[in-house]
Amino acid sequence: MAAHKQNFFMKYLWSTDHKIIAMQYLFTGMFMALVGGFLAYAFRMQLAFPGTDIPLFGVVSPGEYNALVTNHGTIMIFWVAMPVLVAALGNYLIPLMVGCDDMVFPRLNRLSYQVFLVSAIIILASFFVPGGAFGGAWTAYPPLSTTAEFSLTPFGSPLWVLAVALEFVAFLMGGINFITTAMNSRAPGMKMFDVPIVVWFIVLASILFMGSVGPLIAGAIMLLFDQLVGTGYFNPGVGGDPILYQHLFWFFGHPEVYVVLLPALGIVAEVITVFSRKKLFAYKIVLYTAIATGVLSFFVWAHHQFVAGIDPRMANVFTVTTVLISIPIAEMLFVYIATLYGGSIRLTTPMLWALAFLAEFLLGGVTGIFLGASGADVYFHDTYFVLAHFHYTFFPIAIISVFAAVTFWFPKMFGRLMNETLGKVHFWITVVCFNGIFLPLFLLGTWGQHRRIYNYEHFPELAGQDMQQLRVFATMCLVVMLCAQAIFLFNFFWSMFKGKKAGKNPWKANTLEWTVPSPPPHGNFAKLPVCYRGPYEYSHPDREEDYWPQDEPASETT
Amino acid sequence: MSEQATSHAGHGTDGHDSDGHDHAHGPEHYVKIWLLLLALLALSVAGPFLEIQVITLLTAFGIAVVKASLVVKYFMHLDVQPKYVMYFLATSLAFMVLFFFGIAPDVLHHEGQNWVNMAAEEEIVRAFTARRDAIDTAVRTGVDEHGHEVDEDHERELIAERDDITERLVEMGVAGAGEVSFDAATTFATTCGPCHGEGGAGDGAAAAALDPHPANFTDPAFWNDPEVTRDHEHIVTTIRDGGAAVGRSPLMAAFGAQFDEEQLEAMALFVEGLNPNAE
Amino acid sequence: MEKPVATVRSAAGISTGMLSIWWLLASEIVIFGGLLGAYIMHRIGHPEWAEYASHTNTWFGTLNTVILLSSSLSAVLAHHAAEQGDGKKAAKLLYMTVGGAVGFLVVKSIEWTIEIQHGYTITANSFWSFYYVAAGIHGGHVIVGALFMLWVAGLAKKNKELQRVEMVGVYWHFVDLVWIFLFPLLYIAK
Repeated sequence: MAAHKQNFFMKYLWSTDHKIIAMQYLFTGMFMALVGGFLAYAFRMQLAFPGTDIPLFGVVSPGEYNALVTNHGTIMIFWVAMPVLVAALGNYLIPLMVGCDDMVFPRLNRLSYQVFLVSAIIILASFFVPGGAFGGAWTAYPPLSTTAEFSLTPFGSPLWVLAVALEFVAFLMGGINFITTAMNSRAPGMKMFDVPIVVWFIVLASILFMGSVGPLIAGAIMLLFDQLVGTGYFNPGVGGDPILYQHLFWFFGHPEVYVVLLPALGIVAEVITVFSRKKLFAYKIVLYTAIATGVLSFFVWAHHQFVAGIDPRMANVFTVTTVLISIPIAEMLFVYIATLYGGSIRLTTPMLWALAFLAEFLLGGVTGIFLGASGADVYFHDTYFVLAHFHYTFFPIAIISVFAAVTFWFPKMFGRLMNETLGKVHFWITVVCFNGIFLPLFLLGTWGQHRRIYNYEHFPELAGQDMQQLRVFATMCLVVMLCAQAIFLFNFFWSMFKGKKAGKNPWKANTLEWTVPSPPPHGNFAKLPVCYRGPYEYSHPDREEDYWPQDEPASETT
Repeated sequence: MSEQATSHAGHGTDGHDSDGHDHAHGPEHYVKIWLLLLALLALSVAGPFLEIQVITLLTAFGIAVVKASLVVKYFMHLDVQPKYVMYFLATSLAFMVLFFFGIAPDVLHHEGQNWVNMAAEEEIVRAFTARRDAIDTAVRTGVDEHGHEVDEDHERELIAERDDITERLVEMGVAGAGEVSFDAATTFATTCGPCHGEGGAGDGAAAAALDPHPANFTDPAFWNDPEVTRDHEHIVTTIRDGGAAVGRSPLMAAFGAQFDEEQLEAMALFVEGLNPNAE
Repeated sequence: MEKPVATVRSAAGISTGMLSIWWLLASEIVIFGGLLGAYIMHRIGHPEWAEYASHTNTWFGTLNTVILLSSSLSAVLAHHAAEQGDGKKAAKLLYMTVGGAVGFLVVKSIEWTIEIQHGYTITANSFWSFYYVAAGIHGGHVIVGALFMLWVAGLAKKNKELQRVEMVGVYWHFVDLVWIFLFPLLYIAK
């Protein structure tokens, strides 16, 4: 492939190379994670020590509290989870893993990042406009979100909607690239079932996204017009319907969680196969289960609206479908455990993160069943039980699996190994503290603590010492956890320049990205590979080596 | 790089493209489809003129579906793409059907099991009532909301619309919607008053300019006029068909379009009641 | 810029350009489906909209439908010409299609101007809100399509990237398809 000399701007800022674009998404996502974490710090400190002057922030007013929780959620989902899991990993891995030299539309790829960057700038800018950032929750229900008189954020509200809408457009563009590349640009010999699971899962996630975001794009435009032009799409006083917005939002909102879950599951599949030196238990079952989950995810959305005033007969339907969807996910967890069973386990840092994902996500998943039953949800809705449930699912997705991915592919991306000791210390502190934050919140939720309240001292039945102590404990765990991320950041940047050199395949893995130099050159492969087998041929009886790269012709057994 | 461009360029000779579609019949084929589409368009536009709702809906949407399939098959060549293309497009459509039926019970219907969307129903009633009032004004003043004159055909349409609205309001259970509380006295004051005066004494605001003067119903001389028998039938006819119809001044307009039988009766009785010598 | 090998592979049996356009359409179906689905729900649930809707001008709508259908014809004829390798003819037909797009937008502007002058603005009532947004988003797609078509035509004139003529054509037919359903919704089954 042509190696052209490029200046810094062309090489790092205006590049069409999928690896550079992946890095752009990764670094933007990491930065936004720090922002989201800081927002969490501020509002949790307010909850633990209400009304006090928070170090590095100041006193949190009620309006600011709302803006903090709203943007924490919005940023973590749209500007951390999605860009890192789907865009960064999709961009980096797909061309390498299917054995081609770039994405099918490199310039569209670059454009998608640029649109994404603009959206990130807009959401950050919304903090600095008069009235401050939007505070109407990441769900942005009207009339709070449409009426400045209620939201008190005349500029923040439309900026928030605009940022989210642009982010959607960026991911639609990116998604088309991923799907087309994975379908069409596979190496000769790479059949559908020879493609690594993480690639399929990112492609499925893109398809899910594409199929569900449309109505919300329409809804976002309607919301923006209600905010700025004075239309009344969601205003019942003039023939509109706020429940329509809720449906538009959640029709997308539910598949969205699977959009981020699938790449996370894919990462875990790659990591556990490599570090148990074992084949994925049932590739086809995993793939079909993921497809079934994706389809089923379109049938459950109104479980977010059980107490919103939907027709109770619909609530019955959605309870059934919601409880049903736990089955394929549970089955997938069983398949992963079966993959580990009998394997030669290597407890490297990526493997620790992958195992933690399984354990923590399991807790998150089972607590979802309580919420899916509409009867129980009448009590639990809008309490911290919900919050703890979705953090026990989202944290594994957006944080744990991402650390697994970063520690696993870091050697390929930067050509050097991360420090294992620092990695393990970071792992243990993070995971222990994570549980310390959110386990108490399950309790608080069952004891009746509502969400989105900035000071529980105002609610006598929630202001008891026992509850407040739990809040303080959770907040302290968060502070420790955030501080511990410094270990990771140090490890990440120091190893980039000073880590031990990694070579092509430090983990002795099968997939095609491990056959090229670390980091891969522009164009990836000096000679485009041919694929001879599936991605999980570990510990194959016909071979002395316990791994069998996909591009090795069959005759070359050692 | 330009592999794909040349691979298409080479197909002129055998008339087949990379999808295997036979274009040997050339552009006339497409023109024929286009003409068919235009014909279908004409049909769908003509549909509403029959004024049968079912037919209008059938022609409008049925034909839309037919037109769409023509465009999809013959212009987009979906039939020669790999099968899975059709599957994932169909899946998108299926999700839209799911979307519609999952949300319609809440948004399309305004009541369900144990709930009523009062805001929506209030808005419907408000809008219909406002429209009915607008129709009343248009019929009474002869000028619609755009400042256009209301001719007889239009007036008939408006009244039909008004009746339709009344029916719906009654269906919705709006109190007092059906009974058009017709008060002869009030109607006389607003409708007849300008000429005959609110009390029927022939002293309305416009009276001075009219020759002959509008009738003074409180004057016994009017009722005992030797030249005209002003019995009940005469009064009813005058109100309904105007003065010219009973051989009197054409300055008395015809108000038949505004009142039904019962209302005409009520008006006539009211006018007769103004006679100081009425029994 | 040199095209990567990835772009010219076709393991799924279809060119990457066409595959991406079909996926684009899948996402657009959901966008327009959501918007039109919401409109239909409201229209059926709010019978008083019949009176509001009676003020849309069926003749303008019909004219625009004729324009779009004809522009689809020129788009598919452009594809035919491109298949024959005749880039110049394809470009000419694409320019005609763009002309149709411009015509559509001109007619729409006139129509909207008249309606706004009559007081039927986007905030007049919920029917008109949907009317302008639905037709507006469709119009946005017309504009984007026309711009892409100009770009493709410019290259096709020099016999370059002729495969893109079919791609932009399929997108254009989709824009026509949306209108084929918008037209009865807003103008006929009022």
